[in-house]
Amino acid sequence: MKVIEIDNLKKTYSESEVEVHAVNGVTLDIEEGEFTAIVGPSGSGKTTLLNMIGGLDIPTSGEVIIGGSNMNHLNGSELTDFRKNNIGFVFQAYNLIPVLTAKENTEFVMKLQGKSKVECEKRSKELLESVGLGERINARPNKMSGGQQQRVAVARALASKPKFVLADEPTANLDSKSTETLLDIMEKLNKEENITFVFSTHDARVVKKARRVITLEDGKILSDVRKNGGE
Amino acid sequence: MIASISWKNVWRNKTRSAVVIVAVTLGTVAGVFVAGLMNGWVAQRINATIYTEMGHLKIQNPNFLVNEETQYSIKPIKDLTAYLDNAEEVDAYSKRSKIMAVAATARANTGIMLKGINVENEKQVSDVYTKLMPNAGTFFESKSRFPQVVISNKTAEMLRIKNYRISEKVMDSLKILEIPQDGMAKLESIANKRFITKKKFETAINETWTKSEIESYAPVLIKTAAYFQPRAKITFSFTRTNGEIGYQTFQVCGVFKTANTMFDQMSAFVKNEDLYAVAGLNANQFHEISIVTKSTDFKDIKAFQSKLSKAFPEQNFMTWKELAPDAGMLSDFMQIYYYIIMGIIFFALAFGIINTMLMAILERIKELGMLMAIGMKKLQVFAMIMLETVFLTLTGSFIGMLIGGVLISITSKTGLNFSSVEEGFEAIGWSAIVYPNIELSFFFGVTILVIIVAILSSIIPARKALKLKPIEALRIE
Repeated sequence: MKVIEIDNLKKTYSESEVEVHAVNGVTLDIEEGEFTAIVGPSGSGKTTLLNMIGGLDIPTSGEVIIGGSNMNHLNGSELTDFRKNNIGFVFQAYNLIPVLTAKENTEFVMKLQGKSKVECEKRSKELLESVGLGERINARPNKMSGGQQQRVAVARALASKPKFVLADEPTANLDSKSTETLLDIMEKLNKEENITFVFSTHDARVVKKARRVITLEDGKILSDVRKNGGE
Repeated sequence: MIASISWKNVWRNKTRSAVVIVAVTLGTVAGVFVAGLMNGWVAQRINATIYTEMGHLKIQNPNFLVNEETQYSIKPIKDLTAYLDNAEEVDAYSKRSKIMAVAATARANTGIMLKGINVENEKQVSDVYTKLMPNAGTFFESKSRFPQVVISNKTAEMLRIKNYRISEKVMDSLKILEIPQDGMAKLESIANKRFITKKKFETAINETWTKSEIESYAPVLIKTAAYFQPRAKITFSFTRTNGEIGYQTFQVCGVFKTANTMFDQMSAFVKNEDLYAVAGLNANQFHEISIVTKSTDFKDIKAFQSKLSKAFPEQNFMTWKELAPDAGMLSDFMQIYYYIIMGIIFFALAFGIINTMLMAILERIKELGMLMAIGMKKLQVFAMIMLETVFLTLTGSFIGMLIGGVLISITSKTGLNFSSVEEGFEAIGWSAIVYPNIELSFFFGVTILVIIVAILSSIIPARKALKLKPIEALRIE
C-alpha cells in the first residue's frame, strides 16, 4: 500500500534574480513498511523534499499525496492537524522540550491529539521501553546523552501512531555507538511493527541499514535502489 | 497540558523570571500598601465624619441652615422625636441647641458654636467624649458650682488657656527621655516660667537650645510642658432669642482634640439645661438632631432620609454625604483611585514583562517551530505564551499581595504616625496617625487586574511567535 505518492514535485527559490531549483521534478512512491534513505550531497534537495513530504514547506508545483490526501488542498491549520495525526518527525538536533521529562515529551503529541491520560501514560511507557529508555522515563533532556535524547525523539515521533516517520539527518549529531543503537531500534520497529521510515542522511551507516536508497542530485532523483533485507 | 508546560516554562530561566517576579512583587507591595494607607485614612475620615462630627443623618430647620439664629428651631419637635423613638431604623439620636457665641478670656476671644447637649444622648451619637486630652478633665463628669463647658485643644490655645511651663515634674519626665545633661542644664533658665502661647514657648526654647537640640527634643518638650489652666473660665456672649445680648461664664470641664481642627475650632459643648435659661430658649427648642442609624449602608440611610422628608416636609434632612461632600466623594470614588494606582504600577511593569517574554520567545524560536511542526496549533502556541505571562505576573503579584497584606495587618494595629506633619493634616480634617486597612475584595480586584495586564503584555510576544513559520523557525540555530 502506498503511503506517500509524489508526482513531479518542484520547489524553486528565487535568490537575487537567480532561480534555484531545490527540488526539480521528483516523482516517487513510498510503500507502507519501507525503510528508505534519501541521500545526496549538500544542496541536492534532500531536506527540502522531506519538508514538502512533511507538509512543512509548500511545493512550487507538483503534488504530495499521503494516505490519499493531497497536501496541496490543505490550509495552514488543516496541515498542522494533518502532521499531528499522520506524520512523525525526528530532527537532527533532537528538539525535545527541555522543561519536560522523557515521558512528558513522548506524551506531548498524544495530548495534543486529545488522548486520555491513561492512554498517554501507557503508550509513552511502552514506547520508551521499546527504545531502551524504560528506566529513564522521568529524566529531563539535559540529563540524557545525545543518543538517549534522539531515542526519546523517536518515541515521540511514534507516539501519535503516524502513517510514517520522517527523520532529517537523525544520526548527524551522534557518535557511532549511539548511531548503531538508534538504527537498530528503528530497524526493529520497522520490521516488527511495520512502521515506515524515511530518512534524509549523509551517514553511510544509515544507508547501509536502509532497504531502499534514493539518491538525489541537483533536485532530481539520480538513482532509486531497493535492496533485499537491508544489509 | 498547555497550562502545565506554561508553568514549567516560567522556571526555564530562573534568574530572568526571578527578576520580573521581584519587580512585580515590589510594585504590588507598594500599590497594595499605598491603597491600604489611603483606605485607612479615608475610613478614619469617614468614621470621624459620622461618629464624631455628623451622625448618619442630621435634622435642622431649613431657615437655620441659611441663618443660624436661635429662633429657627426644629418644629414640631415632639412629633419628630416621637417618630424617631419608634423608628426601627434609628440606633440613637441626640438633640442639640446651637448658638453662635463669642468666647472670651482675659487674654483672647474667638467665635464659636455653643452646642447644648444631653450628655448621655450625645455619647450615643458622637465619640467626642473619648477624645479628651490626657490630664485635661472629663466630659461633664466632674462637679462644679459653675456651668461647665468642654472645649477643644485648639480653642484652649486660641483663648490662651493652654499654657506651657517646665515644672519639676516636666524636668523629671525629660530625664527619662535621656536628654543630654547639657541640654537639661540650659532649660533651668526658663524653668517654672509660664508661657501663655506655644509661640512664646518656642521662642524661649529657640533662645536656649542649639539647633540640633531643638530638632531632637523640642517637639517632646513642648508636648510635655503643655498644660491647661485648671478651672479656667470662659465668658460666652451671644444673641438671646429676644434679640438681646446674653452672657454666661462657663468653667472648662474638659478639653478634647479630634483629627479635624475645623470641627474643634468651632465646637464647644455645654449641658442643655445650662443654655436654656441664658439663651432664652425653652426646654423643647433644639436646632439640630443628629441620628445614628442601625444600618450603615448608605442606601438604607437615603431611604430613611426620604421617609423622614415625607413625614416632616418642613424640616431639612441631610445625610452625612450631603453634610460632608468631601468625605462622601472619597467614600464613593476611592475604590476607583486604588485601582488607578495599581493600574499605573502594572502599566509600568508591563514593559518589563513584555521585554522578558520577548527574550523568552526569541530564545525558543526553534523549539516553537518544532512544536508547530509536530502539531501544535497557533492558537495553542498563543495560549501557551499568554498563560506563561499570566503565571509569571501572578506569581509576583501573589507574593506582593501577601507581603502587602501582612504589612497592612501589622500597621493596622500599630498605626503609622505622621506627627511631624500633624498640624497640616488636621487642618484639613485628616488624622496624623493612620491605621491602614483594605478589604479582601480589593485583592480579588488586583488579581483580575494582574490577569488583564498579563494578557495584554503577552500579546506582542505571542504575536511574534504566531508569525513564525515552522520551517523557518526550525532552521534557526
